[in-house]
Amino acid sequence: MVATAATSSFFPITSSPDSIDSKNKKLGNGSTNLGGIKLKPSASSGSLQVKANAQAPPKINGTTVVMTPVEGFTSEDAASSLPPRTFINQLPDWSMLLAAITTIFLAAEKQWMMLDWKPRRPDMLIDPFGIGRIVQDGLVFRQNFSIRSYEIGADRTASIETLMNHLQETAINHCKSAGLLGDGFGATPGMCKKNLIWVVTRMQVVVDRYPTWGDVVQVDTWVSASGKNGMRRDWLVSNSKTGEILTRASSVWVMMNKLTRRLSKIPEEVRGEIEPHFMNSDPVVAEDNRKLVKLDDNTAQYVRKGLTPRWSDLDVNQHVNNVKYVGWILESTPLGIVESHELCSMTLEYRRECGRDSVLQSLTAVSGVGNLGNMGEIECQHLLQLEEGSEIVRGRTQWRPKNAKSFGKMDQVPAQSA
Amino acid sequence: MLKFPYCNVTDLNQALAQCRFVGLLGPLASRRQSPRAVVSCSPSSSEFSLTPVQAVMSCQQQVGSSLVNRLRLGGLTEDGFSYKEKFIIRGFEVGINKIATIETIANLLQEVGSNHAQSVGFSTDGFGTSPTMRKLHLIWVTARMHIEVYKYPAWRDVIEIETWCQNEGRIGTRRDWILNDVATGEVFGRATSKWVMMNQDTRRMQKVSDDVKEEYLIFCPREPRLAFSEKNNKSLKRIAKLEDPVRYSKLGLKPRRADLDMNQHVNNVTYIGWVLESIPKEIIDTHELQAITLDYRRECQQYNVVDSLTGLELTEGSKMVSVGTNGSATATATTREDDHDCHRFLHLLRLSSDGREINRGRTEWRKKPTR
Repeated sequence: MVATAATSSFFPITSSPDSIDSKNKKLGNGSTNLGGIKLKPSASSGSLQVKANAQAPPKINGTTVVMTPVEGFTSEDAASSLPPRTFINQLPDWSMLLAAITTIFLAAEKQWMMLDWKPRRPDMLIDPFGIGRIVQDGLVFRQNFSIRSYEIGADRTASIETLMNHLQETAINHCKSAGLLGDGFGATPGMCKKNLIWVVTRMQVVVDRYPTWGDVVQVDTWVSASGKNGMRRDWLVSNSKTGEILTRASSVWVMMNKLTRRLSKIPEEVRGEIEPHFMNSDPVVAEDNRKLVKLDDNTAQYVRKGLTPRWSDLDVNQHVNNVKYVGWILESTPLGIVESHELCSMTLEYRRECGRDSVLQSLTAVSGVGNLGNMGEIECQHLLQLEEGSEIVRGRTQWRPKNAKSFGKMDQVPAQSA
Repeated sequence: MLKFPYCNVTDLNQALAQCRFVGLLGPLASRRQSPRAVVSCSPSSSEFSLTPVQAVMSCQQQVGSSLVNRLRLGGLTEDGFSYKEKFIIRGFEVGINKIATIETIANLLQEVGSNHAQSVGFSTDGFGTSPTMRKLHLIWVTARMHIEVYKYPAWRDVIEIETWCQNEGRIGTRRDWILNDVATGEVFGRATSKWVMMNQDTRRMQKVSDDVKEEYLIFCPREPRLAFSEKNNKSLKRIAKLEDPVRYSKLGLKPRRADLDMNQHVNNVTYIGWVLESIPKEIIDTHELQAITLDYRRECQQYNVVDSLTGLELTEGSKMVSVGTNGSATATATTREDDHDCHRFLHLLRLSSDGREINRGRTEWRKKPTR
């Protein structure tokens, strides 16, 4: 119950994330069960040297909860002026007890937030900074992102790179929270011992609606098995406020020996580490099994050469961040399409990595107009390769006409989320 | 009974930082409770005597959803003269050293500046314009940006940025920032920028008229408050035009679609990336950027191609004053570069086609601390 949760905030917290949500909502509700709690003003002295007016009561359904002055509580003079022992006064003073609980909770939270916000426990209880937390029986990782102004692209919506950055971020944070992060970047301890790493081979993203500046998106991610020796990671991105699904994505990963660069089966030891985290679920995006063709100078209609990675394109391993490839793919997509249409679906096959000194070229062919009976939809094939020929990424994108309604009027305040 | 300001868990830190005068925040509290309230803005000269909070109340236009405000972790400070916001450094914002890149820092400075403008009711079209400015088709453009970073934050660090703006001479305004690390409370960086007013249609500079000044001065500190208050600080240093010999260069830089902001202009932060492009790997691997100053001279369009040039910065008389390893300044007779602890460069970004200057800048680099 709420009261026990509040006092347990002084001790190692073991309650599940859900109780925190209910704590936020229910604290301050007069009908809380306060059984078993003996709170005396003097008991609050040491650790509650907090300014009463620095505390704020939680909100309940949009209304401010008015609390009794808490200073009276912490100033320890409550014990010095005992009221007469009438019937009314013998009843427990609910408001005082409530105030006490709130103070304890808020003080503990202040200490926790000021000194120890870095999550040491895999089950994050509170997510004020959008660090993310595990939900749903420990299998799904959830993190919120507020769309910042610099993440908005020329289309006045969050760019596809922004969305993919969020996906990548939640994947890493999931691994970290679930204890799957060994020394490496998403590799479990067992994998590190054997020099194994996860490598993404395939990615599918379907965007139903792009968020805009000020929107808050909730990204849920989980992993499942993919065949015998692969892993699938799925994401579901929704509007935090309305629940509307914005984006669905699915990726396939294989295990590779980072020294030999050869694919590897999942060793039994590693299987034991990761399988408990697998969710048994259908892919969130229907798999697009159509073969991705390899373009060449003859079949490609648009070619952009001389693409070079900037310093800011490199990740911690000095490889070009996967997300940057998407930007380069779009570089050779004709401006006419990019300006009048929005990317609604993308399938990528990752072949090779590249680094700072690579020089790349991006090829695009328009392979279909008005496909799948959708008027105005355009389909393109893509190839990103080193100028000397090695393939980096193959892709297919689908574009739908930009909806005049969703253009939004950006010279006003950001539209309320949906 | 005391009335506490509206808050929930995610606002707690903000509340703790700012809630010292509950009464003052009363109006703000009720503002947040009814975010849908639309109040028309009509500032008059008599409103200069309003406090910022009262001004916000009377000028507040419809703000985004309360969920956004709660999760934004930012808000005006108690006196209303500055704005503070917390950010967590995300994985895709760090560079090869697992520390935030200077572009990330510059992006966050821009973000918090925009959020400040929005929180006082100015427009959110990315230009931070007040209603009068919009009527007259006036926008702010950056003239100079100066950032100093003493210690870069790492992935997952939470930082807090405070920003405020004030008048600068007759034609400009300035915005200053202080950056701190929430966990340690230390200031890890400072920044300042100078802005001038430009007519959106004619693209010509314009003096800040009095009625525009009054609109935003309500929200500026009454006394001058400078992030760089020391005399002759680096943010005031004049940047010489880079002359031959050019030491390093990277030619043929093209704006990518991702470099364009919501107004289809090359984002200010992209220029920082371009300046750094000509720094060679040897320096990037061993040194980190300590300070950068950029003077924005000309806009770059989507279709332009840019050259990035870098040369050593020399002081007058061809003497390079370098800081020795024990921290004392030692003057050297010739341009010595074997002091590997500190580098100073001059930069030039120019159009490849005709050599016209887009930006000029200077950077200082210090040896990377062992982490």
